[in-house]
Amino acid sequence: MALLRKFNNHLHQYMAIPAIVLFGFFFIYPLIRGVGISLTDSNGITPANFVGLQNFIDFFRDDRAMHDMMTTLWFAIGSAPLLNLFGFLYALLLDQKMAGKGFVRAIVYLPAVISPLIMGYIWYFILQPERGFLYHLGQNLKLEFLQGNWLGSSTSAMVLLIIVNVWQFVGMTMIIYLAGLQSIPAELYEAGRIDGAGGWKTLWNVTIPMLYPSIKINVVTNIIGSLSVFDIIVALTDGGPGYSTESLSLYIMRMQYGSFTGYSTAVALILFLIIIIPVFLFLRLTRNKEVEM
Amino acid sequence: MKKKLAAVLSAVVVIALLAGCSGGGNSEAAKEKSGGADSAKNVKLQFFTGKVETIDLMNELIAKFHEENPNIEVEQEYQKDASNVFKVKLASGDVPDITTVVTQEYVDQGKYLDLSGEAYWSRVLPAIKDLTTDVKSGKQFKVATNVSMGGIFYNKALFEELGLKPAATWEEFVDQLQTIQEKKPDVVPLFIAGKESWTLGQLIEFVGHGPVKQQLGVIPAKKAFINNDSAQLKFDEQGGAMDTFARRLLELRDKKLVNSDLVTATYDNQKQAFVDGKAALIIQGMWVMGDLFKMKPEFTDNIGFTVIPSVVDGLKPTVLSAEDSAYAITAESKHPEEAKKFLDFLLRPENLKIYSETLKSPAAFTDVDADWGPLKDQAAEALRQGANIAFTDWPSGFSGDDAGRMVQELMVGKYDNSHDFAVDFKKAWDKAWDANNR
Repeated sequence: MALLRKFNNHLHQYMAIPAIVLFGFFFIYPLIRGVGISLTDSNGITPANFVGLQNFIDFFRDDRAMHDMMTTLWFAIGSAPLLNLFGFLYALLLDQKMAGKGFVRAIVYLPAVISPLIMGYIWYFILQPERGFLYHLGQNLKLEFLQGNWLGSSTSAMVLLIIVNVWQFVGMTMIIYLAGLQSIPAELYEAGRIDGAGGWKTLWNVTIPMLYPSIKINVVTNIIGSLSVFDIIVALTDGGPGYSTESLSLYIMRMQYGSFTGYSTAVALILFLIIIIPVFLFLRLTRNKEVEM
Repeated sequence: MKKKLAAVLSAVVVIALLAGCSGGGNSEAAKEKSGGADSAKNVKLQFFTGKVETIDLMNELIAKFHEENPNIEVEQEYQKDASNVFKVKLASGDVPDITTVVTQEYVDQGKYLDLSGEAYWSRVLPAIKDLTTDVKSGKQFKVATNVSMGGIFYNKALFEELGLKPAATWEEFVDQLQTIQEKKPDVVPLFIAGKESWTLGQLIEFVGHGPVKQQLGVIPAKKAFINNDSAQLKFDEQGGAMDTFARRLLELRDKKLVNSDLVTATYDNQKQAFVDGKAALIIQGMWVMGDLFKMKPEFTDNIGFTVIPSVVDGLKPTVLSAEDSAYAITAESKHPEEAKKFLDFLLRPENLKIYSETLKSPAAFTDVDADWGPLKDQAAEALRQGANIAFTDWPSGFSGDDAGRMVQELMVGKYDNSHDFAVDFKKAWDKAWDANNR
């Protein structure tokens, strides 16, 4: 009987075992094997040779790889802040008392449930130079700027990718901020009002500090999502024109399919580090900023 | 009580997990045993294909086969990215029995069954038998049922109206395009679908590699590609084929003889423009005919097919004529006899005839007389007129798609001159070839 009691006491720990097994099997084990493969020149077919850190050195020496890394970073620098800013603004706006706010929230969120791949193709119909909807609209309304070759040049293609990506996922950021906003006790706003705080001061001294958990979640999720972007690029530009909008994730896929298995695994590990480092730094910086209630 | 229930439930979850992971393996093994032990029992064949145009047709043929062989069930799996998915399948041990994906690296690895001794080779066109022979071992690991052709498709009515005839040299070709540009300003002379890198890769296969293929001959050229014989291929030669190809392509762009949205136009745009009479010429493969017919059946009589002039002066124009619809049986297949049976069925003259006529592509077998399409005579004429070339054997890691992306970069001005493009091309080719041939 004592055994059963012991078992009951530690039951919560045992309940975690299935999750730990799954995590280990699908994440830890592949990660360790991946590190092993990245130290070889494997091509997925013939036996591999150990090459140490050669793959990593090759990565930093390769022009296309470096360009892709910059592309990915630019995309994240463009996307993540905008996602947070607009998500936050939408949340503030749609937290007010207004008719139909549930409907508007749903509309803002709706694009997020559509596959990014489909989203890219839909936007291609709209944005295609000389044949897309926007072009024809520009022709009919005699608006020159709508008739530009947006997707044919790398800078504008990148800007468009960021815009489409932000437009699609701003709903998710908004939802999290909304949940955060709604958990702020009304007394705090009252107290602020009594102390004579106006709109901006309230925002800065009451709302944002209380929202730190939501901010953390959103910033981390957006950093990870933006740095590992894949679907939208494949659908809208296929990394093009040429390789100008190719992201690291797309590069990894293409290297793997080109039988550069060892190399692509090494790049995947590098991408992992590129994502982990900012996330880690951010969480460290904001560690003590959550307000305890 | 709640805790006890929770304990029982989590135990169940863990057991289910373990059972799920291994149970799948057990039932597979059981199936295999019963399949092998009694061949009269049901056999399931996996047919893995990357050909989207033939999915329905193959299902019909499979149904026909099943009527004759009720104990053999063939399951067709189509994947858009077939050659890449095939890699994954091999790696995970989920090997199909019959496949359309055949690459040199896998042939070298012994992944396919040797079909050299089969009876049907006597019925195959000698040129196609040569193309389906592995250059390294001299054996046949795949059998092709059709001939694929590639060349210039043009709008016959437009040509008649402007009094034009198919060009034999690149100069004539450019003149032709310029005439069209002058006389018909709202028609694109040559429409290239540059968004999809495979079409640009094909341009390289048909036009950029045309000279070396023509000068070496079909099989020696194949050998040169597979063995990366730089002395013969001369990719980075100043003024060589690749350099000239890039230069001439840029000329077409600068003279506006190609569509201005070349880099963002899709394959669908190209086909649509052609059947709508908005594009005068396209460089494509015969496979486009099926789609063109679907889009506008009445336009098909207006389509002309001819040879592609050489970018290098002094050489004959070329027409691509190579193997299409090839099948191989994997060496790891557990049902090789049944797989061979299915292959024999597909290769019967009457089935080859149905296949040819549906796909609108000529058969590679001598005993098949199919009325495969309206371009039959023009294709024969092109074969007589031009030098016959085949597809390029790209190294794994630098495919037609990758090369196509380089052409995209060329078109948006990444290269200062055409020779830089040729040098980069050789670098990329060598890097990929070296990685797989160490």
